[in-house]
Amino acid sequence: MDFYSMAIGLMQNTLRTATPVVLAALGCLLTDHVGMMNIGVDGMMLIGAFAAVMGSWLLGSWVLGIAVALGIGLVLGLLYGVFVIKLKSDEFIIGVALNVFAGGLTTFLLRAMTGQTGTFHAEGGLSVLPRFSLSFLDSIPVIGPLLNNNTLLVYISWLLVLACWLLIYRTPLGFWMRSAGEHPQSLRSAGKSPEKIKYLASLLCGMLACLAGAHLSMGYLSTFSENMSNSRGFIAVACVIFGRSNPPKVFLAALLFGFIDALGMRLQSVGISSNLTSIFPYVGTVLMMVLVVWRAERRKRRMSL
Amino acid sequence: MKGRKLLEYLLALAVSVLLALIVGGVIMALSGFDPIKGYRLMIEGAFSKPRLVGNTLAKAATLCLTGLATAIAAQAGIFNVGGEGQLYLGAIASAFVGARLTGVSPVIGIPLCLLAAMAAGGFYAWVPGMLKVRMKVDEVVTTILLNSAAIYFCAYLANGPLKTAERGINSGTDSVDPAFMFERLIRSSNLTQSIFLSVVIALLVWYIMRRTTAGFEMKLTGQNGRFARYSGLKAERLAIGSMVVSGAICGLVGMFEVFGLHRRFITTVSQEFYYDGMLVAMMMRYQPLGIILMSLFFGAMKIGGTYMEAQAGIPSSLVIVIQSIIIFFMAAEDGILQAFRGWRTRRRAALTLTKGG
Amino acid sequence: MDEPIVSFRHVSMQFPGVLANDDVSLDIRRGEVFALVGENGAGKSTLMNILYGMNAPTSGTVSIRGQEVRHFSPSEAISRGVGMVHQHFMLVPSFTVAQNIVLGREPKRLGLFCDFPKMRAITEHLVAEYGLRVNPDDKVSEISVGLQQRVEILKTLHRGADVLILDEPTAVLTPQETDELFTVIRRIVKEKQMTIIIITHKLYEVMAISDRVGVMRAGRLVGVCETKDVNERILASMMVGREVLLGQLDRHDPDTSDNEIAIHVEKLQVSDNRGLTVVRGLSLDVHRGEILGIAGIEGNGQSELVEAITGMRRFSGGDVTIGGKSIKGMNPGQVRSLGVAHIPEDRLATGVSAPADVTDNLIVGKERQPRFSIGGIHMKKRPIRRWAQETFDRFDIRGAGLDTAVGSLSGGNMQKVVIAREFSFETPVLIISQPTRGVDIGAMEAIHQLIMDKRNSGCAILLVSADLDELYRLSDRLMTIYEGRITGEFIPSEIPKTEISYYMTGGTKEAQA
Repeated sequence: MDFYSMAIGLMQNTLRTATPVVLAALGCLLTDHVGMMNIGVDGMMLIGAFAAVMGSWLLGSWVLGIAVALGIGLVLGLLYGVFVIKLKSDEFIIGVALNVFAGGLTTFLLRAMTGQTGTFHAEGGLSVLPRFSLSFLDSIPVIGPLLNNNTLLVYISWLLVLACWLLIYRTPLGFWMRSAGEHPQSLRSAGKSPEKIKYLASLLCGMLACLAGAHLSMGYLSTFSENMSNSRGFIAVACVIFGRSNPPKVFLAALLFGFIDALGMRLQSVGISSNLTSIFPYVGTVLMMVLVVWRAERRKRRMSL
Repeated sequence: MKGRKLLEYLLALAVSVLLALIVGGVIMALSGFDPIKGYRLMIEGAFSKPRLVGNTLAKAATLCLTGLATAIAAQAGIFNVGGEGQLYLGAIASAFVGARLTGVSPVIGIPLCLLAAMAAGGFYAWVPGMLKVRMKVDEVVTTILLNSAAIYFCAYLANGPLKTAERGINSGTDSVDPAFMFERLIRSSNLTQSIFLSVVIALLVWYIMRRTTAGFEMKLTGQNGRFARYSGLKAERLAIGSMVVSGAICGLVGMFEVFGLHRRFITTVSQEFYYDGMLVAMMMRYQPLGIILMSLFFGAMKIGGTYMEAQAGIPSSLVIVIQSIIIFFMAAEDGILQAFRGWRTRRRAALTLTKGG
Repeated sequence: MDEPIVSFRHVSMQFPGVLANDDVSLDIRRGEVFALVGENGAGKSTLMNILYGMNAPTSGTVSIRGQEVRHFSPSEAISRGVGMVHQHFMLVPSFTVAQNIVLGREPKRLGLFCDFPKMRAITEHLVAEYGLRVNPDDKVSEISVGLQQRVEILKTLHRGADVLILDEPTAVLTPQETDELFTVIRRIVKEKQMTIIIITHKLYEVMAISDRVGVMRAGRLVGVCETKDVNERILASMMVGREVLLGQLDRHDPDTSDNEIAIHVEKLQVSDNRGLTVVRGLSLDVHRGEILGIAGIEGNGQSELVEAITGMRRFSGGDVTIGGKSIKGMNPGQVRSLGVAHIPEDRLATGVSAPADVTDNLIVGKERQPRFSIGGIHMKKRPIRRWAQETFDRFDIRGAGLDTAVGSLSGGNMQKVVIAREFSFETPVLIISQPTRGVDIGAMEAIHQLIMDKRNSGCAILLVSADLDELYRLSDRLMTIYEGRITGEFIPSEIPKTEISYYMTGGTKEAQA
């Protein structure tokens, strides 16, 4: 394999593995802006992945699968909101419990609904998300193969990065969200309910996380396996921390993660154990988080001189 | 907790457990199972035979130790979600040492294996603990990510450099010296001599948390870190120390699995045991005595759940669902109580004022 | 007579466990400055929060311009022309001045996006109209408290308020800023026919600015008078319900004649959390048997100075020696071992562990002493409890038992817990910051005497306070601090309070001379 096709393959894999992380991270950063960082996105993703596959299996279409995932996302977002906003529960405890709950529930339902364990195999296969190509792009090197032949959700995730940025920094609603997180009383005294804004963020987060899950289960393989989110939701949380909840920066962080993951897969093909390469994204993300803090500390120290 | 507050808490717990069991029943019913039968099988599966009682006790010991591991870190204000990884590393480290020391007297060998497990688990908890305390890197995210890293790393070792040469074993390390193994106390059950060690550790952890100056200082550190520092407590050292102890306990749990049941490290040495214990600790608000007692209840549910799945095809992961629902309710307890009290106060005030006016 | 612009009828407010307002009926006239006074916890803010719709009263009615308020919410109050400047500003720190002013009613472009130029124009228009100068593009977190208050006032004016509630507006201001604020109030009342309700507990301000005054005590409105008919003394006794006479403190010089230097601070440089240097080459000495008071407007480096001396914060230059030993690089525990006890300014964040009970909060720092533990490991429950009970009684902590969570105590009793713990270390050096903030008068008396007793027994005491009366009562010497530097040193009896404030706002002795 020549270098060019290897590099292209690496970049394609980067986009592919980064997309669910991008979507989940967008959801998480919205909740972070309103002051209740949702570390339960991993569990929401898992449930979303399951809902999407079950939806498309039972209803026979990927569109309906996504619709089911989004609907479930709304329910999960509402649940998270009720517990954290209305009942003032600790967001970390709810987040952690949500993750465990998701693992248990999807495993239970998989066995109960299909009688299968581990990985779900639908007879006759499931419909995969369609891919899109623009033929004129094919002739352009690098850009062509990267922009073409991706699933719809990849393009949507790019649009959503832009949309989230506009929402947060350029619209009144974004200002309300940020003030709900930073100083809710000031928003309340302006006659707006911080709670409502928080619910909105929580609902959007649920939908985005479930969309991430849908891409995980239907983007390329169209199958569901137990615990298939594989802590990617937490990588998304780390990306939010790394990118300071700024959508484009978070997007870059997610791409970095995707690259590390893709690099690991590439190394498998030259005979390095997959178990070993699977460690990379996790350790890489931890190092990323340490780096953020270290950088912030150094900046502070430099300012004091 | 004392008096009225304790009573309120116990009431809330009882209601939460009951509600969660009802929700669990509803989920069973919606999935086409008979909930009464399900719960009956669960009870049967936990207690009907000596072997099953043994399994229940063994499971309770695991839950109890992992729960206490969560609690001791939480007491100092660190949320250790990484016990699973610490457990894996403890298991593989002790298995490695146990296999290498073949032929050595158990009096020397077993303590060394214990030490290896504690060192490996402790070290793996020290890393996120240090990052949290010294650099303020969020520990929930790091410990979870490090779980995945450790599990893959152990899988790599067990299928690679440390893979046994024994025939017929696809994956796993060399087996440890049989002389080091904990003997089974009830035939064909999972209950081994390690239960005695577990009891000693549990009491020790309870003692440290509740009766020693270090435990007291940890508690204050966890409640208000700035206050602890202001008071001259070695807050950072206490927090990191509690994390290391937490990791060491998890490492021991891993070792008990290897030296009690599997004889070698295998990649399925734990099936999210740590998370089960963590949930018990969370619902008991990290109270050591409560965790010890509640472990018995959930040990029974876990073992009963497996039996239920085998007998009636009701997936045992229902137990996890029920456990996490209890956590949801318990976490919301204050909010629910407050909403109720606020409503009651308003109503009473309105009543008295209308009557008075 | 005109119809009242605001009228409360039999308003009561019940919070869990507290009756914050008890059958209050009150009319506010159009175009007047009405002062609402009372001690902490008298229910002034609660009443005004009801008017502003932050809380709905448990019973009773509120009418604005003759119309009864049925739905209590800030947006309803805003739409009826009521605005409120809260004691803790309702500003988003990371937003600009303009963004804060238009928050909740941002001008839009394309029906969706914020119109930033228009935000700025709105702000500039307001500035021109009311003469309250602010820069629209400044970040709120980076401007002074006085300017932040202006932003708050502009914000309420932008929302069309003509009834303006000011909750303790001068608590955070310098005397000059207070004068400016009063000028603005007079002008907008005169020119724009606004109605102002000002909550305060500073009686001379009531006399200076208000037309009428209402006095609250324990949730009840105990009197409403024309300001010209009363004086500060009458108001004070109405507030407290008895004649207030702060008693004379028992001050006598320590038996020992040695007055060696206990705390020596030399050219100290300290940075704050943002990394800005806020203590700039400050030097001072505290001798045994004296109280050195530090007077200054908040935010001039006092907090960081105290944190540096107690080991809570690293310093970047200069040195601090306690009992002759440098504390450079020491942590708070090591500084304490040199014989230092510390009463911190923010007791809830630093001085106590709120969820822990009184016993735990009293014993901290002593738990490893042989009388309370075996070998520094096993805690001896009974001796601890006995000692805690004795201390509890000696310091007269009320409204609680040993098992009560400290977080549920009143400000005064919580502060007594802190003082009991710190004073019982019996250290020769005490660093005391804001000892009576948010504390009622009874407890204040007791705390002042406790501090004085420590001085009388020969302790060296550094006292930082924002309360000039307190500093005058306690200090042997007084230093003024401004922007991290000492601007003057005085004997309290030799300088009037009015002159001190000149040094607190940047004047120096040389400049005056």
